[in-house]
Amino acid sequence: MSESDSSPKIQTTIETGDEESRHAPLNARDTVIETRDLDVYYGEEQALDGVSMEINEHDVTALIGPSGCGKSTFLRCINRMNDMIEVCRVEGDVEFGGKNVYDDDVDPVALRRKIGIVFQKPNPFPKSIRDNVAYGLKIQGYEGDIDERVEESLKRAALWDEVKDQLDSSGLDLSGGQQQRLCIARAIAPDPEVILMDEPTSALDPVAASKIEDLIDDLAEEYTVIIVTHNMQQAARISDRTAVFLTGGRLVEYDDTTKIFEDPEEQRVEDYITGKFG
Amino acid sequence: MATEETTSDQLGQSTALRIQQLKGQLFEVALVAATLVGIVSLLVLFAQISNDAFRPRTASSTWFLVYFGTLVAPTAAFTLYARRRPAVRTANALAFAAVFGGLLLSFVTYVVVDALSPYDVFIYAFFASLPPVLVLAYDRTTDERTYTGPLIPVSIIVGVGVAALVDGPISGPLGVAAEWIMYFGLVTVPAALLVAWLTASRRGRRTGAVAGGVVAAGGLAVAVASIAAGVDASLPIVVFSAFAVPTGYVTWWSVKTNPEGRVGIAGPFVILGGVLLGASLVDRLGIESPDSYLTPTLILESWDGLTASNAGVYPQIVGSIIIVGFMAVLAFPVGIGAAIYLEEYAPDTGLRGRLATLLEVNISNLAGVPSVVYGLLGLALFRRTLGFGTGIVVSAAGTLGLLILPIVIVSTQEALRSVPNDLRQGSYGMGASRWQTLREVVLPEAIPGTLTGTILALARAIGETAPLVIIAVATTKYSPPSGLFSSATALPLQIFAASANAKPEFRHGVVPAAAVVLLVLMLLMNATAIVIRNKYGRTN
Ligand SMILES: Nc1ncnc2c1ncn2[C@@H]1O[C@H](COP(=O)(O)OP(=O)(O)O)[C@@H](O)[C@H]1O
Ligand SMILES: [Mg+2]
Repeated sequence: MSESDSSPKIQTTIETGDEESRHAPLNARDTVIETRDLDVYYGEEQALDGVSMEINEHDVTALIGPSGCGKSTFLRCINRMNDMIEVCRVEGDVEFGGKNVYDDDVDPVALRRKIGIVFQKPNPFPKSIRDNVAYGLKIQGYEGDIDERVEESLKRAALWDEVKDQLDSSGLDLSGGQQQRLCIARAIAPDPEVILMDEPTSALDPVAASKIEDLIDDLAEEYTVIIVTHNMQQAARISDRTAVFLTGGRLVEYDDTTKIFEDPEEQRVEDYITGKFG
Repeated sequence: MATEETTSDQLGQSTALRIQQLKGQLFEVALVAATLVGIVSLLVLFAQISNDAFRPRTASSTWFLVYFGTLVAPTAAFTLYARRRPAVRTANALAFAAVFGGLLLSFVTYVVVDALSPYDVFIYAFFASLPPVLVLAYDRTTDERTYTGPLIPVSIIVGVGVAALVDGPISGPLGVAAEWIMYFGLVTVPAALLVAWLTASRRGRRTGAVAGGVVAAGGLAVAVASIAAGVDASLPIVVFSAFAVPTGYVTWWSVKTNPEGRVGIAGPFVILGGVLLGASLVDRLGIESPDSYLTPTLILESWDGLTASNAGVYPQIVGSIIIVGFMAVLAFPVGIGAAIYLEEYAPDTGLRGRLATLLEVNISNLAGVPSVVYGLLGLALFRRTLGFGTGIVVSAAGTLGLLILPIVIVSTQEALRSVPNDLRQGSYGMGASRWQTLREVVLPEAIPGTLTGTILALARAIGETAPLVIIAVATTKYSPPSGLFSSATALPLQIFAASANAKPEFRHGVVPAAAVVLLVLMLLMNATAIVIRNKYGRTN
């Protein structure tokens, strides 16, 4: 995708939420997110060091690496959740559809309506299941049939059959795995373009985790998914491309997942993947 | 050495371990003793006060027998019956809240409105509620997304201002209308609207409108019946709207939704009926009741400094309620607003961050400042600077408001802080703005904690004496305050003054009895706080 045809797109998607631009037919894998020389500091401490990366539309991109190497930081830069951390300073570019999301004229609130996020610990609101899923629609002033969207989102999150008779009971009454799928339903209800996931299965048991993995596979048909994971097998199973971060907040290698896991360029990456460190 | 000990030796208790255990047990005993000392001394104190106020030893044993038969035994039997049946307990709790809450609400509404003049209260209530209703109606009728939210508080303030302007000219002509019409507008109309709204949200608009109409018609019927019987219709209307309507609604609701537990509705009536039956039996049979100081006279009459049996604290009870109520109106919005700013908006770093931190530290310190000092502050502010009259309601409410402000701020901050950050992150991640996150996620979660903290602050304020002495609130007064700028009176002050009365029956009878009344007022507030906390506090 060239710069020139992507710029107008972000105008329409962020500001007016034009429906057509969403799942435009793909000629090839288009770049939807691109970072250039991204440095992030928390006060004096540097958390990301010169990360440049292009993320393809409708790919599942996995971010792996040892704890504290900056994976979550990278994820939070994309939808500007870092804005909430006062000591956090971002330098470099993060482009979403060709538009630098750190430009002055980008409203982080509008940006987050295009880029949903799912956290490590399931965090449903203490509201009914229905209100949880409808939350994004309500705050965005959605005028259509909310119940219909709730049902559709719960179906896409593979939760509908389990909760369809208890939509008015609290989201907190669900099991951990169900709560996480509820959070995914909540994230996809307003129909974002990208879904960020920060270790979405690490607080779950293996069965619940595998359900979410299946779900991620399905989601990739409609959304671009970027997922941080601690679990190497998970990355290998579900992702199209894998980025390996190592200590110091540096992106060490980024390639097709098969390449990373079968024949990495870097010795350090091979050591990490084979469990020699990390 | 390890080789010489067998495994079983190692598992046995060594002397060191035994001493360790003994130390632990001694510590536990010390803790239990400390707890007991505290609780027992409080109990002894309360027993002493209630003994002096109530004087149970002056009653004949038949009196005890009668009340045991009519009140204690049936209540105990009912409690035992309900204990194992959760459905009954649910219905019982609901009925309790409706019946006793309704009685309390009727009493408070009637005495306060009566003291402040029903015509003035009606005018203020009308002009304060009309503008927000109009704003909401406008919001409903326009399809486009309007941003009327901020207009609502502004419109209320404007309404109150208008009321202050027109009160003088209007209240004259309005005085032609009977008083009960004012009470009808003040109590029956809101009750009817509430019932209509509640019913409509469950049964559809039609039924809602009918239910509201039934309540309004009932209010009119009560008025007509009272007038026909030759009594003032005001009190009957208040009791009908604030007691009979909620009780009836809750009864209907329990029968509908909780049929197996509907026996529980009888709970509060067992107690009420027991008291009434006992009283009428004692009266009929001429049984010697205790020579108590806690009598209807004490609660319903005004002060008499010469004869203890004629002394009443009605003006003081009403005065305390008015002061604390107005104080809440002044202090809660300011305190809660400040807490929300400090907790949710103020930055952590930079100049403004440091300023906020400085503020927070000082507010915590202010919570511990002695109340006498607040009295001086109130004196300087309201009397000297603003030139208000001596000891008027506004000064008293303002002074007490300053006193509880830090408590309100700190407890609200605590409630906000206890909302998990995950929820805020989740909301921001969905593309919610800060205000949306606050309104939709943070505040609903913080409401129970905030309400508990603020109601406890009310309970603290109602007992405060020293600041009122300093701002020169009259210790003895024979009528309740008639307005916000008329001279105030408060129950703790009357207790303080009576404790210096030359006659021993005042010092050892009326004072403890009035103290019991004050304690009951305070406990009612705390009970409300507990009910609210239990109702909302189930999320954790
Ligand atoms: N809110 C924060 N404030 C200060 N430092 C932080 C904050 N969040 C993360 N860091 C630091 O940034 C580095 C990267 O953290 P993170 O992105 O959470 O790593 P990962 O998700 O890969 O484990 C760590 O050294 C961490 O201590
Ligand atoms: Mg992380």
